[in-house]
Amino acid sequence: MRRIAFGFTAAALAVVAGCTGNAPQDPKVEINPNPYPSTYQVKSKLTILIKGATVLTGTGERFDNADVLIEDGKISAVGENIEHGSATIVNGRGKWVTPGIIDVHSHLGAYPSPSVESHQDGNEMTNPVTAEVWVEHSIWPQDPGFNAARAGGITSLQILPGSGNLIGGRGVTLKNVPAPTMQAMKFPDAPYGLKMACGENPKRVYGSRKDAPMTRMGNMAGYRMAFAEAVEYKRSWDKYERDYEAGLNPEAPARNIQMDTLQGVLEGDIKIHNHCYKAEEMAMMVDMSKEFGYSAGTFHHAIEAYKIGGLLAENNLCAAMWPDWWGFKMEAYDMIPENAAVVDSFKNSCAIIHSDSDTTIQRLNQEAAKVMYRAKEQGFDIDEAKAITWITANAAKSLGIDDQTGTLESGKQADVVIWNKNPFSVYAKAEKVFVDGDKVFDLHDEKYQAVSDFMLGQQ
Amino acid sequence: MNKRKLMNKISVITAMLMSFSAFSEMVAITNTTVYTGTDKGILVGVNVVLEDGKIVAFNPPSLEVDRTVDGQGRILTPGFIASLNQLGLIEVGAVKTSRDEKPKKGGAGFDASTAFNPETSLIPFARKGGITHSVVTPGYNSELFSGLTFNVELSSKFDSVETVGSSVVAYFGGSSSDSRASNFNELAATFDAQVKKMAKDDSKDDGKEPTVDETAINRVLAKEIPLIAYASRPSDILQLIKLKEKYGIKLAIAGASGAVKVKQQLAKANVTVIIGGVDNLPGDFDSLDSSLKNAGELDLAGVKVIFANSDSHLIKNLRFEAGNAISYGMSVQGALAALTKNPASIFGFKGGTVEVGQPANLVLWSGDPFEISSKVEMLWIEGNETSTDSRQDKLRERYISTSGKREAYIK
Repeated sequence: MRRIAFGFTAAALAVVAGCTGNAPQDPKVEINPNPYPSTYQVKSKLTILIKGATVLTGTGERFDNADVLIEDGKISAVGENIEHGSATIVNGRGKWVTPGIIDVHSHLGAYPSPSVESHQDGNEMTNPVTAEVWVEHSIWPQDPGFNAARAGGITSLQILPGSGNLIGGRGVTLKNVPAPTMQAMKFPDAPYGLKMACGENPKRVYGSRKDAPMTRMGNMAGYRMAFAEAVEYKRSWDKYERDYEAGLNPEAPARNIQMDTLQGVLEGDIKIHNHCYKAEEMAMMVDMSKEFGYSAGTFHHAIEAYKIGGLLAENNLCAAMWPDWWGFKMEAYDMIPENAAVVDSFKNSCAIIHSDSDTTIQRLNQEAAKVMYRAKEQGFDIDEAKAITWITANAAKSLGIDDQTGTLESGKQADVVIWNKNPFSVYAKAEKVFVDGDKVFDLHDEKYQAVSDFMLGQQ
Repeated sequence: MNKRKLMNKISVITAMLMSFSAFSEMVAITNTTVYTGTDKGILVGVNVVLEDGKIVAFNPPSLEVDRTVDGQGRILTPGFIASLNQLGLIEVGAVKTSRDEKPKKGGAGFDASTAFNPETSLIPFARKGGITHSVVTPGYNSELFSGLTFNVELSSKFDSVETVGSSVVAYFGGSSSDSRASNFNELAATFDAQVKKMAKDDSKDDGKEPTVDETAINRVLAKEIPLIAYASRPSDILQLIKLKEKYGIKLAIAGASGAVKVKQQLAKANVTVIIGGVDNLPGDFDSLDSSLKNAGELDLAGVKVIFANSDSHLIKNLRFEAGNAISYGMSVQGALAALTKNPASIFGFKGGTVEVGQPANLVLWSGDPFEISSKVEMLWIEGNETSTDSRQDKLRERYISTSGKREAYIK
């Protein structure tokens, strides 16, 4: 992405023109990296002191009988015997407090409820490479699934395009607040994601039409041709920048919306989110990222990540996994319930539990619990403090928002869930959910239970 | 990861779960907390004796048995029954030759039981969720009737099919190709035609054997087996109750997200509902009443509830659907019945309760059977202790091995 602001450009132009005395330059061609900016606003930043709760910080730590202070939309302090003169006190006795839950893989709004023919907006299956589509342009904010997910403690989520294409388009990260526009939900300053897909889906979609790709080698050829073109595109813009800065008056390259996105990947501004089940395919995607010079990012639906946990950790890559989905395709046949725990056991790992579902997104805590308990039965050294990172801190890292949310460290955004009991219980419920210190859900107070326009007034 | 520690644990667990036949043995499971599923509720400190595949005694005066299993105060439940899935008819969803749930030409009498594969890898995995039996249904085929369900035990043995034709399955509600009225009309016309034929047959035998479809409909009309009707919208459910009353059939409503709106009528007409325990989104205009509270509200109104999940690969999670329903207001006994007694009753299984004289389909749990932290300690199908080891365990052990061997040599 090109991050230079318009105002700066005009000034730079004047200076350059003035200094060199050459023929005047044309105005510099700039590409706005953020044409659909976030308009998200916090409604009210509450000052809240949660007293005497069991706190999982998302940093791997657990504090019993601890307090959490929320001020000015941020986590202000976590510890024992915190006092504050004017804060609203929440009795945390018997309750558990965690960072807001983050799902790195959702299609809410793009494949919303009701799942009717007018609402199938998640998969632009008209070409195997559609890096030019942005899923934010498909999102229906009235999807009742956003509200259901919030009741399950989801405070941030990435909406991704579907997996029919090799390169399916940009994903977007949202704050899970009810709003009438996508922009009003958009997580400020979160990097874009780019959805890619390995394996069976793209080759089935296009192969069945006798189009490329028809095979897995066709898949690889498709990504490589796209990134080879992106390298050329980036080079042409880099040259334009250089020549312009040198006082020349170069002709700007033709704008290509598809290539803009891949250029963003090559420049590290857009993070790869790759639907990729199988060990051998993930290993090739890692090599391919090195071939073209970008990070392979996060592997989603990484059913076979346990076979290559070391490789993923060595390359600083995340794997987002289900606890138990399997068997719907050959590439999902080798599932093991302990997958995330095996991935997590390597130093520098980044294990994530994701949903890809409007149903399980409501219970990511239970999805993580399934992995935790099955792994503990097999002798893995995992507890709640560790397992919560799979749906908070590690998810934030994958999305590139870990400097802002995902843990209860001081200064982080106050995205917080108060649970009625240990969140790894089937009986646990989110009682209160805060986004940036604003209460957006309360189990016991209808005033804080949002209803989508679609459900309003239905008999 | 401490792999050595891990391997030790694995060998202990493997030994513990190793399967061995106990068919003619007399086995006592001592000191258990029995979720009977009967009016007796939960009984504490019970010694349960099994012989010849049956429960033969509770707390006999003396324990003269061949073998004793120390229950350690743990919970013993009936084996759970999964309903309306395609277990044994699908191995891998996207592999057509491993799918046998949909016929080219279906009908009320289509029986898929001959295609059932007891050796599917899905069955051992399902046992991890305490599932001992399942009602397998043919897949939706865009026709009114998808065919007959059949009942199986999850023993992985070649004689697993217990009952062929345990219900007839039909579909109602919104359709992309026809008015929903057509299916109601077709059902009534099908029933009318058979009622007429049967009346005729009584007076004069015309020598024509009924077709398999006609036989299936006749069994429904004779109340031998129920009609399982997929429907969600409250008005559709009321139409089906009307048809039930007109023809005097046994009826269960599957899907049934709108059942909560007509719960009094369902209870009065003695209609069972078969629902997903965590379905709460309006997937279409038929299911605007979906809610996590529905199971509890139906149970409270006296409607018999069954939990079902059509994802055959994940029926092990049914106990968590029950757990979630409990947290949204369902009684523990109601949730237990929804996985045991209620499906047994409507689909004609023996058992579904822990009682003397019932088949010894039992699960001994490490803790609360509906809680994620619990697991199956031991499981019996018709008195046979049956392992929960699965292909998934083999894969895990292969890839966390510290043997230094190439993985393919670790078996």
